[in-house]
Amino acid sequence: MISDETRARIDAEIAKYPVKRGALLPALHHVQAELGYVSPQAAAAVAEILEIRPVDVMEVVTFYNMFYDRPQPRHHVYVCTNLPCSLRGARGLLLALEAHLGIRAGRATADGRIALGHEECLGACAYAPMMRVDDRYHEDLDVAKAKGILDALE
Amino acid sequence: MLTTPYVTSYLSEHFAHDDFGTLKGYERRGGYQAAREALTRMSPEEVVQRVKDSGLQGRGGAGFGTGLKWSFMPRETEKPKYLVCNADESEPGSFKDRILMERGAHQLLEGILIAAWATGAEKTFLYVRGEYAWPASQLERAIAEAYAKGYLGPKVMGTRFRHDVVLMRGAGAYICGEETGLLESLEGKKGQPRKKPPFPAQVGAFGMPSTVNNVETFCHVPHILSKGVEWFRGFGTEKSPGTTLFGVSGHAVRPGLYELPLGTPLDEIVFEHARGVPHGRKVKGVIPGGMSMPILPAGELDVRMANEFLRERKTMLGTGGIMVMDETTCMVRVACIITYFFRDESCGQCTQCREGTGWLNKIMSRIERGAGLPADLDVLLDVAGKMEGQTICAFADAAAWPVQGLLRHFRADFEAHLREQKCPFPESFEL
Amino acid sequence: MPKIRIDGREIEVPAGRTLLQAIDDLGLLMNGVEIPHYCWHPKLSIDGSCRLCQVEIEGTPKLQIACNTPVQDGMVVHTQSERVRAAREGVMELLLINHPLDCPICDQAGECKLQDYAYDYGLTQSRSREPRRALKKNVDLGPTIVFDQERCILCRRCVRFCEEVTGTGELRVFGRGDRSVVDIWPGVPLDNPYSMNVADMCPVGALTTKDFRFKIRVWFLEEVPGVCTGCANGCNVYLGVANNKVYRYTPRRNDAVNQTWICDAGRLSYRRIGAADRQRSALVRGELGVPEPASFERALAEAASRLRRLVEVKGPGVIAGVASAHATNEDLYTFRRFLLALGAGESGVAVPRGDSDALLVKEEKAANAEGARVLGFGPARAVLERLRAGGVEALVVLGSDLLGERGLEDLSPLDRLDTLVVLAAHQSDLQRVAHVVFPTRHAAEKQGTLTSHAGRVQRVVPAVEPAFEAHAEGDVLHRLGAALGLPGFEGSYDPRAVFRALVREVPAFAGLDEGALGDQGAPLAAPAERPKASRASPGARA
Repeated sequence: MISDETRARIDAEIAKYPVKRGALLPALHHVQAELGYVSPQAAAAVAEILEIRPVDVMEVVTFYNMFYDRPQPRHHVYVCTNLPCSLRGARGLLLALEAHLGIRAGRATADGRIALGHEECLGACAYAPMMRVDDRYHEDLDVAKAKGILDALE
Repeated sequence: MLTTPYVTSYLSEHFAHDDFGTLKGYERRGGYQAAREALTRMSPEEVVQRVKDSGLQGRGGAGFGTGLKWSFMPRETEKPKYLVCNADESEPGSFKDRILMERGAHQLLEGILIAAWATGAEKTFLYVRGEYAWPASQLERAIAEAYAKGYLGPKVMGTRFRHDVVLMRGAGAYICGEETGLLESLEGKKGQPRKKPPFPAQVGAFGMPSTVNNVETFCHVPHILSKGVEWFRGFGTEKSPGTTLFGVSGHAVRPGLYELPLGTPLDEIVFEHARGVPHGRKVKGVIPGGMSMPILPAGELDVRMANEFLRERKTMLGTGGIMVMDETTCMVRVACIITYFFRDESCGQCTQCREGTGWLNKIMSRIERGAGLPADLDVLLDVAGKMEGQTICAFADAAAWPVQGLLRHFRADFEAHLREQKCPFPESFEL
Repeated sequence: MPKIRIDGREIEVPAGRTLLQAIDDLGLLMNGVEIPHYCWHPKLSIDGSCRLCQVEIEGTPKLQIACNTPVQDGMVVHTQSERVRAAREGVMELLLINHPLDCPICDQAGECKLQDYAYDYGLTQSRSREPRRALKKNVDLGPTIVFDQERCILCRRCVRFCEEVTGTGELRVFGRGDRSVVDIWPGVPLDNPYSMNVADMCPVGALTTKDFRFKIRVWFLEEVPGVCTGCANGCNVYLGVANNKVYRYTPRRNDAVNQTWICDAGRLSYRRIGAADRQRSALVRGELGVPEPASFERALAEAASRLRRLVEVKGPGVIAGVASAHATNEDLYTFRRFLLALGAGESGVAVPRGDSDALLVKEEKAANAEGARVLGFGPARAVLERLRAGGVEALVVLGSDLLGERGLEDLSPLDRLDTLVVLAAHQSDLQRVAHVVFPTRHAAEKQGTLTSHAGRVQRVVPAVEPAFEAHAEGDVLHRLGAALGLPGFEGSYDPRAVFRALVREVPAFAGLDEGALGDQGAPLAAPAERPKASRASPGARA
């Protein structure tokens, strides 16, 4: 279920849009800030608030990269592997991080702390290679720097 | 990490100063005067005409005349009108809008205000791609400052004009950068572009008349108003006036942003400003306008960076994302990255796009793996040809053009892959 | 009206419509103007994603989708040009690269739009060497539908149907790009009273009905136009017939009646035709008081003799009649004439009732309730009142809906009758107290007309023959009338002649003929427009 705080945040969003459904993406961001993903119950709760169907919510969740329909590890680490980053060694960086964490890209560490993956262009092309850790960009990386950032994650 | 452009002009000349992003700092340097002038001394029609006369083209990739687009908004209507700022920048190779938001949030807001006055819009939805958390936070801060100062809200700058700005974060889907895909996402749905007609000026956000403009497009507007049409047209070319922020990335000595007039030759940008290719290597190819635009080989880099010239070389300006590739680069791997991207980001509505992007990527992967067949190249071109010009939005074209461009100029790379059943470029970047 | 030129032919089209809509309005779509399409459907919103309906429009550089292009006066359209053919080939090829090679096991084969258009417009060989998507197959989507996700071409008709027509929204497209899949939200199956329509509108075999699964290949079926008899709406159907058996109903388009839909209950009502409880033999109550199988002639003789005796002893006024709302206009008109000629007393029609909805389903659960009323049959209640008051000694009953009437909770009032003659297609408790039972025909087994709740007269034709001796009610009554020596019952029963008599004698039917009815039916004359009835003719009360 979603907390009263999250509910209040969603209500504040609804006020900004002429149609309640317009607040769906913001609402889902708030839900994920609390739960880390959109559970079936959360989807049903959001659907009720916005006067749409749970299936409408899940359809949206499955369309967007940043919404998850299952529980997530604490941190998401995404290395950009699009063209400009690949030209500057993104693949090597990702392989190094895979080795460092002991997992393949697309998986999470056994302790549930870190999910490692790759992502498409994040708008940091001149500062390649780079990665996104949750809401933060880490740019102009080399393998050592990147490892250090991961090690500092709780 | 250097976020200010290496070469600046009127858009970015103050970006090196941190306080330029604050309302005080912005106003100290002349900010918001153009908006005040527009709201208090110009009619909306005059503003539209000014922007039309300037010849400003949209900077989101399509290059549509901005003043013309504003004039599509109905003058007399009972319905609320909306502006939508497209800050969904997701085109690989492009990062100019990000800097404009991070370092010049008020410049953007002022442009939006002027556009709102010109079109009669009562609200702007500022749609920022979900991954741009930091730029979004800068915008939120600037919006709060503007409200506090009365530059947004029920009585903008003390006039009777009312305008609100709502910032909405996307959630990771390139297709939401397409005008009508954005509108769908704004309405809380999947970002699947709409069939046209109807067009946004008739049926836009929430069914109301709307105009969608790119971040950079808005940023030019205060300058056009404050310094005039003639001044603006002094930059760039006759058909493509003004500057833009070119973003150089890839195998360049100094990747970064360069604010230069449209029409600047590509080789000047790559070899002079970005200081050429590192490690003494030669350039092999350059994608001039973001990954959707067809590649140019080394021999064609003299082209001037404006649509009227780029079109002659079968490519386009797009978002000015210049990606440099040196002689070690395997173009088959480039094609793999490109086709993977488009397959991933297709919204899935149209048959040609959904199935075509998938097929192109599957073929490319197979060629890269060493299992390619001679017939594959013709199939690639044929499929790309079948995707062009036949879909609800231009995504399928964007997916088809790079493949056509790569085969046009670098067919030899592909043929070598087929012949040798492996990548013939041992030093190429890894996939 | 705007004039356009299409494939060299100039036609006038309705204004304010898109090209596909206009062509469809004129009845020309795939019937003179060939514009293949998947996602467009005449009764759903415009989708525009399949891209198959692209056509060439002079003056417009790119091909345009006909489904979303408004018609304009002077438009010149080419639907068979090289460019258009190449575009169609492109769409077909791309749809087939992920489509499983299921034809040999797919119910849709033979009525599959992918097969049809691939044959007409596609390449003969696939160039794809890539593995196809592997998705869910044989999925239980709900109580009525089987889903094969791999076969789906993502036309989204089913999604739009559930959203726009039934308002239940069970189906959605999840995911993005070539990972897009149609599916339900777990725990919310596809379960609404119109669910099976998605199988009709699905152009391929992604959505099929459990009812029809693996039963028979469609190319063995003759699709006979008919009418559903489940309720008074009179939805138009095709009866899928083979081996003298009806295998299924599918909805037949009638924009005035049921659009392109039918409710699930109506669709499945074909099962009544071959049901185990059909009345398979005439019955005559023997000395032991138990109904025994008898020949039709024996039953006829018994019924005639009993009625004749009663008329002689007590006069015909003690005979009452209960009509069935399932019988055709021809059956009912003959019944009316029979009762009048006999000089019978009360008569009425027993109409079964149930729930209705805002879409198609009507409260009256028989196809000809309105027809019965128009032909002068009031509610059966009048007969029951007379029965209980002791004024009825014999009943001629059509059907068994009398048993459902309020006021007749048990059979005892009927048990006291001197004579009970029942004409029924299905067995019922009435047999236990009847003296004579005649087996009758289902609407799918006879020629006739039915009048829908909205006053629309629609034809039914014999699609199958019962395997046992059964006759239309009108036929039985005609012969009974003849056996009783009643005037006007000479010769043999001809429903077409009866219809012509109806048209002559009953004001509501004025102006109709078989030609006017065609496949889509025609409305009764509105009450204000009906010519005056003569006193003597039946239906004077209409």
